[in-house]
Amino acid sequence: GRGGARGGSNVVLEPHKHPGIFIAKGKDSLLVTKNLVPGEAVYGEKRISIEGGVEGTKIEYRVWNPFRSKLAAGVLGGMDHIFIEPGKKVLYLGAASGTSVSHVADIVGPEGVVYAVEFSPRSGRDLIGMAKKRTNVIPIVEDARTPQKYRMLVSAVDVIFADVAQPDQARIVVLNAEYFLKNGGHVVISIKASCIDSTASPEAVFAQEVDYLRKQKFKPIEQVTLEPYERDHAMVSAVYQRHK
Amino acid sequence: MVTHILFESASGYAIFEVKLQDALGSSSKALQESIEDLGKFGKMVNLLSFSPFKSAAHALENANDISEGILNETLESLLELNLSKPNKKSKVVLGVWDPPLASAIKAALGFQCDTDETTKDLIRGIRLHAPKLLKGLQADDLTKAQLGLGHSYSRAKLKFNVNRIDNMII
Repeated sequence: GRGGARGGSNVVLEPHKHPGIFIAKGKDSLLVTKNLVPGEAVYGEKRISIEGGVEGTKIEYRVWNPFRSKLAAGVLGGMDHIFIEPGKKVLYLGAASGTSVSHVADIVGPEGVVYAVEFSPRSGRDLIGMAKKRTNVIPIVEDARTPQKYRMLVSAVDVIFADVAQPDQARIVVLNAEYFLKNGGHVVISIKASCIDSTASPEAVFAQEVDYLRKQKFKPIEQVTLEPYERDHAMVSAVYQRHK
Repeated sequence: MVTHILFESASGYAIFEVKLQDALGSSSKALQESIEDLGKFGKMVNLLSFSPFKSAAHALENANDISEGILNETLESLLELNLSKPNKKSKVVLGVWDPPLASAIKAALGFQCDTDETTKDLIRGIRLHAPKLLKGLQADDLTKAQLGLGHSYSRAKLKFNVNRIDNMII
C-alpha cells in the first residue's frame, strides 16, 4: 500500500545478530525475514525487495512486526539467543493462525522443519492454509497438553518455542520436552503473567515459572521483558538436561 | 528389564531389540551421551522389523488409533509376528511409551510391557536417530511422511470436530 515500507536502492539489508533474521535499514529500521515463498504475503504484511549480490537480482523479505509476534518482540527486546536458526527443527506450541510460524519457517529455511501445534479449529484452518505454501511447516491440529496424540508426527527437535497462554504452560512445555526435545536442546517461552496468575505480581509469576522449569530438568538461561510491545510479558529461555 | 521397543513413526512401525541392558536405567550424563552418539546407541538397540504403512490412508488410520491408545489389527499382527509368544521361558518385555497402548497390548497379546524411564530414554534415542535406524528410508523420507500425515491428521480433526461453530455464520 501507499506510504508503506518500500524497497529500492535506498534500503540496505543488514544481518541481525541472530542467524536467519535481518534488518532492513531505510528511513526506518525494520525487522525482516527472507520470504520462503517470494511474491506472496501470509497475513497482509509488507514485503521489501532488496538488490541481491548479483546485478539485477532481488531478494524478497517480509516485515516482522514485534507488536504482532511475541518472538519478534523477544528479538528486539534483546534476547541473546533464540536458538531458532537456519536448518533447525522447531516445535512451535500455540501456533495460532500461523503468522509468527511463517516467520520461523523463513528463519529455519528449506533445510529446517517447524512442527506447529494449535488446538483451536478456527486457527488450525488458517495454519493448514499457510503450511500448504510453506512445506517446511508441519501443521498439527491437536492439544499441546497431549503430546502422546501427535508423537507419530514429530521428530527429535532442537528447540521448543511456546506461546500457549495457558495457566499450565510450563507443564505443557515439560511434557513435550520429554517426548521430543534433544538432550541439550532449548526452550524459549513467552509468558503472559495474567494468564497464569492475575493476582500475583508479574515478576513473581515469571520467577515461579522459571523455578518450575528448574525443577524439571531445565537450566534457565535468560529472561527479557517484552515491553514496550506487550504488557506484563516475559520471554524466558532454558536448556534441557536430562541427566542428574 | 525391557527387551524390545515399539517405535511408532509417520512412515510405519518399528520394533527394536534391546542390547547392552546393564548400561541402562541410570540417569547419568554418560548414558545420555551414549544415546546421543549414533555409534554407541546403535550398539544399544537393533532394528528387528520395520513395517512401512501401505498408503497415506493407512498411515492416517494408524495415526488416529495410536493417538487414542488403540491397538488395531495392523499393530497387533505385527507384534504377534515379530515377538515370541509369552511362555515360561520367554522373557519378552516390550517398551511402549503410552501406558494405555501398553495395557491394550498386554490384554490382547499377553506381552509384559514397560513404560518407565529406561523405555522413554530408548524411544527418545530412536526418535533422535530414526532416519538412520529405520532401514530403507532416505534422509528426508520421514519428514515427507510427517508432512503428509500432519496435513491429513489435522484436516480430519477439523472435519470431525463436533464443536466447530464456523458453519453457523452464514
